[in-house]
Amino acid sequence: MKHWSGYVLLFWLLAALLGLLLSVSGLALPGFAQADQIDLSRLLALPDSSAWLGRDDLGRDILSRLLEGASVALSVALVVTSITLLFGTLLGLLAGYYGGWLDRLLMQVTDVFLAFPGILLAIAFAAVLGPGLLNLVMALCLTSWVGYARLTRVQALSLRQRQHVQAAESLGASVPRILLRHILPLLAAPLLVEATYGIAGLVIAEASLSFLGLGIQAPHASWGSMLRDGVRYLLVAPHYVLAVGFSLMSLVLAVNVLGDRLRDALDVRRSD
Amino acid sequence: MLRIRFFSCLFFRLLSVFRSGSSLVLPARAHSVSVAAQALALTLMLTACGEQPAATPPATSAQVPIRMAVAQAPVNLDPRVATDAASERVNRLLYRPLVDFDAQSRPVPALANWVSVDATHYRFTLLPKTTGTLRAFHDGRPLSAHDVVATYRSLMGMAASPRSAEFANIQRVDAVDDDTVLFQLKQPDADFPARLVVGILPAALIQAGHDFARAPVGSGPLRFVSWQGALTLERLADQQRIQISEVKDPTVRVLKLLRGEVDLLQGDLPPELLRYLQGRPGIRVQSAPGANFSYLGFNFNDPVLQDLRVRQAIAHGVDVAAIVRQALVPGSRVAGAVLPPEHWAGNAGLAAYAYDPARALALLREAGVPLPLKLVYKTSTDAQRVRLATILQAQLKPAGIALEIRSLDWGTFFEDIKQGQFQLYGLTWVGLRTPEIYRLAFHSDSVPPRGANRGRYADPVLDGMISAADWPAVTQRLHAQLPYLPLWYEGQFAAMRTGLVEYSLRSDGHWDGLATINNLVLPALPAD
Repeated sequence: MKHWSGYVLLFWLLAALLGLLLSVSGLALPGFAQADQIDLSRLLALPDSSAWLGRDDLGRDILSRLLEGASVALSVALVVTSITLLFGTLLGLLAGYYGGWLDRLLMQVTDVFLAFPGILLAIAFAAVLGPGLLNLVMALCLTSWVGYARLTRVQALSLRQRQHVQAAESLGASVPRILLRHILPLLAAPLLVEATYGIAGLVIAEASLSFLGLGIQAPHASWGSMLRDGVRYLLVAPHYVLAVGFSLMSLVLAVNVLGDRLRDALDVRRSD
Repeated sequence: MLRIRFFSCLFFRLLSVFRSGSSLVLPARAHSVSVAAQALALTLMLTACGEQPAATPPATSAQVPIRMAVAQAPVNLDPRVATDAASERVNRLLYRPLVDFDAQSRPVPALANWVSVDATHYRFTLLPKTTGTLRAFHDGRPLSAHDVVATYRSLMGMAASPRSAEFANIQRVDAVDDDTVLFQLKQPDADFPARLVVGILPAALIQAGHDFARAPVGSGPLRFVSWQGALTLERLADQQRIQISEVKDPTVRVLKLLRGEVDLLQGDLPPELLRYLQGRPGIRVQSAPGANFSYLGFNFNDPVLQDLRVRQAIAHGVDVAAIVRQALVPGSRVAGAVLPPEHWAGNAGLAAYAYDPARALALLREAGVPLPLKLVYKTSTDAQRVRLATILQAQLKPAGIALEIRSLDWGTFFEDIKQGQFQLYGLTWVGLRTPEIYRLAFHSDSVPPRGANRGRYADPVLDGMISAADWPAVTQRLHAQLPYLPLWYEGQFAAMRTGLVEYSLRSDGHWDGLATINNLVLPALPAD
């Protein structure tokens, strides 16, 4: 993938991996401070050789915190996407393939979830469950499976009329076999594109909830909580909020552009 | 997800527009609107150009209002009902109470002198002339003993007043003559005069059901003018007008001060922004020691925290001096007791616990608790609070304490504290005046809802000392037993245009300086 978005995404994936490694091991980058090491004598210090992106309002190294934030953002996005992709696709397949009362029931449930603005529902869940990373993941899971279920159901409705599916049915193939081997492969492309956009949306959602204080708790870093802290010092230390804002923008933009390109590449009409 | 696609699509659309240099094609209607707007702007520009700067007579300082921006505007200007800090601060300027406090927080006469006739009778005699102003309301009526009686009777009779409980001890209040009021109490109360700090309202207007909340009439140094968006007040002495407006965001308040849209800010800024302002030309920052007391509360129902050695370990594990020096506003002080040392019931001889993580660790080992000791610290979601909690967490780590921070929204947090559902919490006492606080916060009878002994601290020795009103012994005992770990008194500060003078800061953060502030240099008119 020789496109800038690919490199940006690769960069953030590596950064997230590094951040995860550092926070699990409790080590620091050689020459840098740990992500939660406070230095009261260097509050909001400008970038220097000991902290390439400067220090935050507690004298912590912004670069190390960005890495930790990247690992939080991407792991939340990937975990939530995998769970909701699995769950949403399954529900959509069942509803689309069987139709009837099951379809009506499942679609009414999804309609209820769709009727709510997703982020508001996540805020409500996070507020009820209390702040924390696990609760944040649960709240996001509860709100973001709907898109996959809808997409899968519509596709499955039309795919089950296809001749190869009817042929499989008349040959006596079992339902799981039909769903997994004859319908799902044809669904993979749109689902993949949808999942890419989903990841970008989740990165933003995690940042939004953390911005509101409902995400991961202090002293752990998240891009959202860093943004919230940084905004307070916009006049005094713009380097703080700029570093976080640019990171968030580059990651989301890269994922979105990648999704766009993926859709173009997978589009049958265009690739012909 | 759809939304993000839409935005990214819009973003690229805009990007391509910029790249190609063409203009955005607007729908017909929007287009005509924008044309109209352009025409309007052009007209404005033309008239602005044609107008010559007229030779206006030099404005006197009284005609140019002094504009103050505050984080939270007053809610209610009726002193009988208002409880929020901003309303209380404005009401101090609009009304005069019978009694006020001096720098040592001793009650002193404001409108009236008093004598204690016996344990349950107090006689208040109105002073003939209060400092600076005649004894009269802003509408011209004279202030007499009947107004005092009417004010306190209405307070006692108001079901909705949050203050009526304070005055439940009053049996009756009567005017002996035009200048003398007699209070009769149900129970003896040595601190009674210190409670009479509610502003006096005119009796006739009370009877007429006047809406003091929106149109206050008092006898204070400032008169109410209008309240449309900004609250406008006028000083009786020299007709200097003062405008108070609400600007919620601290950064915006600072920008407004720098741009000359406001003249004065007091309090409610992060220390970094204050330091930033200190270095700006044309801005003067003034700071003073504060009296609002921040502390760490312990829960005595918790088996681990019951152990004095654990509390001492926490006290030795927190470097309060470093926090005060680095992360608080100038004028902040390390606290040794609830009331500051200059208070008449304060104790200047109490040194803060020395920062010594090794000693803290040794004390924890001695107490035999598993290390690292896991404790939960509850605080609100306020950014500065979370920041301070994070500092505490980092400082306690080498002392063998793993602090978990739970930042909860204010309602949940305060309810948990009152219910005793916490291990550690951080809060601030604001506007403390009388040593009554020691009974309210530490007496074993004061467990919520009867008082504010939220840590469920029960100490018969201390109860005895409180009943005997032996404040040096009480403060000494609290310092040794540590039901609270005293942290700091946060400093008071104001930032203003350099032309403003004679603004004084009080340790409780009141805005009394507005009664004396003066404009030496008028703000420069915008250059263009």
